[in-house]
Amino acid sequence: MANEKHITLSELLADVRRTLAERFPLGVWICAEVGEIKENRYSGHCYMELIEKGDNDGTPKAKASAAVWRSRWGMLSAHFQAATGSPLAAGMKVLLKVSVTFHESYGLSLVVNDIDPAYTIGEQEQRRRQTIEQLTAEGVIDLNKTLDFPTVIQRIAVISSATAAGYQDFMNHLSASPYRIEATLFEAIVQGAAAEQSIIDALGRVADSEEEFDAVAILRGGGSQSDLGCFNAYPLSAHIAQFPLPVLTGIGHDKDTSVADLVAHTALKTPTAVADFLVERITGYHSEVEYAYERILTASSALLESHRTRLERNNALVHTLAEGLLRRMEVRLERASVELHHSVARLIEAHKARLERAEVKVEASSPQRILAMGFSVVRQGGRALTSADNIEVGNSVEIVFADGKATATITDKTK
Amino acid sequence: MDTEMTYSQALSELEGILKSFDSGEADIDTLSAQVARATELITFCRERLLKVEEELKTSN
Repeated sequence: MANEKHITLSELLADVRRTLAERFPLGVWICAEVGEIKENRYSGHCYMELIEKGDNDGTPKAKASAAVWRSRWGMLSAHFQAATGSPLAAGMKVLLKVSVTFHESYGLSLVVNDIDPAYTIGEQEQRRRQTIEQLTAEGVIDLNKTLDFPTVIQRIAVISSATAAGYQDFMNHLSASPYRIEATLFEAIVQGAAAEQSIIDALGRVADSEEEFDAVAILRGGGSQSDLGCFNAYPLSAHIAQFPLPVLTGIGHDKDTSVADLVAHTALKTPTAVADFLVERITGYHSEVEYAYERILTASSALLESHRTRLERNNALVHTLAEGLLRRMEVRLERASVELHHSVARLIEAHKARLERAEVKVEASSPQRILAMGFSVVRQGGRALTSADNIEVGNSVEIVFADGKATATITDKTK
Repeated sequence: MDTEMTYSQALSELEGILKSFDSGEADIDTLSAQVARATELITFCRERLLKVEEELKTSN
């Protein structure tokens, strides 16, 4: 065997290099998923691992290292971000134009010369559309929107990273408001490949103490724009759609709406917008309550005023009526009094007349007057004689005149 | 004179005396006394009337 013809390792690898260079002289367009990506801060070159996932989604079917030299990277990354709204990140499917290089010591390496963002957009759009279709088919896409959303939210669970600028902005806006809103942080990784599972885990922890909160807010962003992929992916979107509390999103992007935003109860652009939204709802409610209070005050004082006016009118009426009644009674009394006087006067006159007639009669009966007229009273034994039967001849009688007396003897009697 | 006497009592007594005068039943021996009584009754009644009149005037 040792005598057989042979070449050295370097000769072999040099041959491989030459063969590859001949086979792919102009570079080739390939589609792959970004497994890892890292920009070397000092050199300015970008290094990534490209993968192609297998059917079982487990181990990659293919894997290769790739590099973008600084001279290309600045332009390509800016162009990619401008077109897709996100920087090139792990988990993205990309269409790249690569040169196949081979080095005898370092092995195979792909050098990226161009990136077509349209492919990634299409890929994201397709993923997004698939997620929406699946959620729609399952009948859960609008589920979170049907939840009761309290007007005043004061207990909010926040899923974010404690160090994220967006979370800090959110907290600052809440504490600047005059209202007390309790925000409880449920820590999660909100960027990169681990974000999706981390957010799902955080949602699970919120759900465990669901009755302690009015709503949950998923916050991200602020400064750095990064991959929105997980917010378009089915698992996280499905969790949000079926979450038992209303979900608010403030995941900091301004290009398209993610599926997470679509299924959330209320989607807002940024964490600060979420804070302002919560505060504005309370402000609105507060104004309504104040307005209602004002209306109650106005209405009750108007009611009071109308009753007071009515009472005053009635009071005046009572006085007027009472005075009228009194006056009528006075007139009647006056009339009765006059009538009484007239009646009494007539009565007295009648009595006077009657007394006068009595006086005339009494005067007419006076014995002095009768005696003065020439009549005399004849007495026997002190008693006045009224008949001739009681006297005999020879009897002595006393004759009484008006001005004196005389004694006489009866000498004759006829009967 | 009896101070307890009312106007109507005085009047009815006076009427009684007048009636006995009218009927001629009056006893000549008591006539003088009866006239005096009647005159007294008339004076009493007149005083009463006068008093009532004055009371009415002052009460007005």
